[in-house]
Amino acid sequence: MNRGSLRALLRLLAVQGAWSYERMTGIGMGYAAEPLLEDLQASDPARHAAAAVRSAGFFNSHPYLAGIALGALVRAEYDQVPANQLERLRAALPSPLGALGDQLFWVGLVPSVMSLIMLGLAAGVGWWVLPAGLLGFNLFRIATGVWGLHTGLRSGAQVGAAIGDSWLPRWTPRFGRMALLLVGAALPVVAAVELGGATTVARWTAGASGLAVLGLSWRLETRFSPLRLSVLALMMAIVLVGVWP
Amino acid sequence: MPVILHRIDDRMVHGQVVVGWGQPLAVGFIVLVDDTVAVNQWEQDLYRMGVPTEIQLYFATVEEAARDAARWREDPRNGIVLMGDVRTMDAYCRLALPVARVNLGGIHQKPGRTQRVPYVFLSPDEFAVLEGLAARGSIVTAQDLPSSVPIPLESLR
Repeated sequence: MNRGSLRALLRLLAVQGAWSYERMTGIGMGYAAEPLLEDLQASDPARHAAAAVRSAGFFNSHPYLAGIALGALVRAEYDQVPANQLERLRAALPSPLGALGDQLFWVGLVPSVMSLIMLGLAAGVGWWVLPAGLLGFNLFRIATGVWGLHTGLRSGAQVGAAIGDSWLPRWTPRFGRMALLLVGAALPVVAAVELGGATTVARWTAGASGLAVLGLSWRLETRFSPLRLSVLALMMAIVLVGVWP
Repeated sequence: MPVILHRIDDRMVHGQVVVGWGQPLAVGFIVLVDDTVAVNQWEQDLYRMGVPTEIQLYFATVEEAARDAARWREDPRNGIVLMGDVRTMDAYCRLALPVARVNLGGIHQKPGRTQRVPYVFLSPDEFAVLEGLAARGSIVTAQDLPSSVPIPLESLR
């Protein structure tokens, strides 16, 4: 990774720092693009000036996947892609990046990590599961950011095909299902522990009931939402803990 | 129940549309009306990635949209007709059947526009076009999400 990419990645960590309704994450994107556009400044100052202005325009996508768009748009500037096509690309990228990012991180990874932490604490593994979970989440986030920036820089205006062929659309739904299972397992177990007096058998039976319900939903793709299923699993756990001696 | 939302949003297909409106309204299809996207495969591929498989995404030019409007309105699924700017909505409303309600969901800053509510920026020309829509019988309101209160066009002056 060259120095420009590293600086861009670091700046992407604060891509929402200047968020506003006027440009959303546009200013953050412009700030992150600046180190990547330095070579253009030397070779084509006029194009660089226009690119710098464009890079700070209105933009809105998932912050953790913004690097894909940043890399693609910068590469397209170096490739002399016409300005109107750049604008179209800039307008179209937020849709898949927002949707995939929301599903991957907010629907999939965050609830999964939280559930693992809760399960670890409930099982008495120790307090270290909390920093370990946070560390794991952030390592994944940063690795995704590095991959995203490189994918964008490599593909430029062909970024749509690059995203479509990558692991991202294939694995994102699996993260959601993983979250379903883990939330379903964690809620009843934690509830059983918090209710107190529950035997180990009751705890794990409660957890297994949650897993079974959510596993069924995964298999059959029922119309029940994850939240409803989790609440159902929680209720089952309370009943189980209540009746188990 | 046919098309339940005619929306102007320059972000086109995105989370607020797909999740914010799509889930509570149990939307089965979205029509993205844009003359450029309708003939541009790579843009369509990108937008498709932002929509879950249970929602059908169609692309249409203004002319095609006006031609198919009656069919969408008879579709048993709930639908959203989505456009990126005021002029496209105006052109659609002139060609298609009357649109009862026009939703301003997200029109963002560009030179010449001023902020009317946090998520709607309009130029004087665009405002005049919306006034024309209202004069022809459409109820024009700004509302980003179903849970927020619709703001009448008059309050955006």
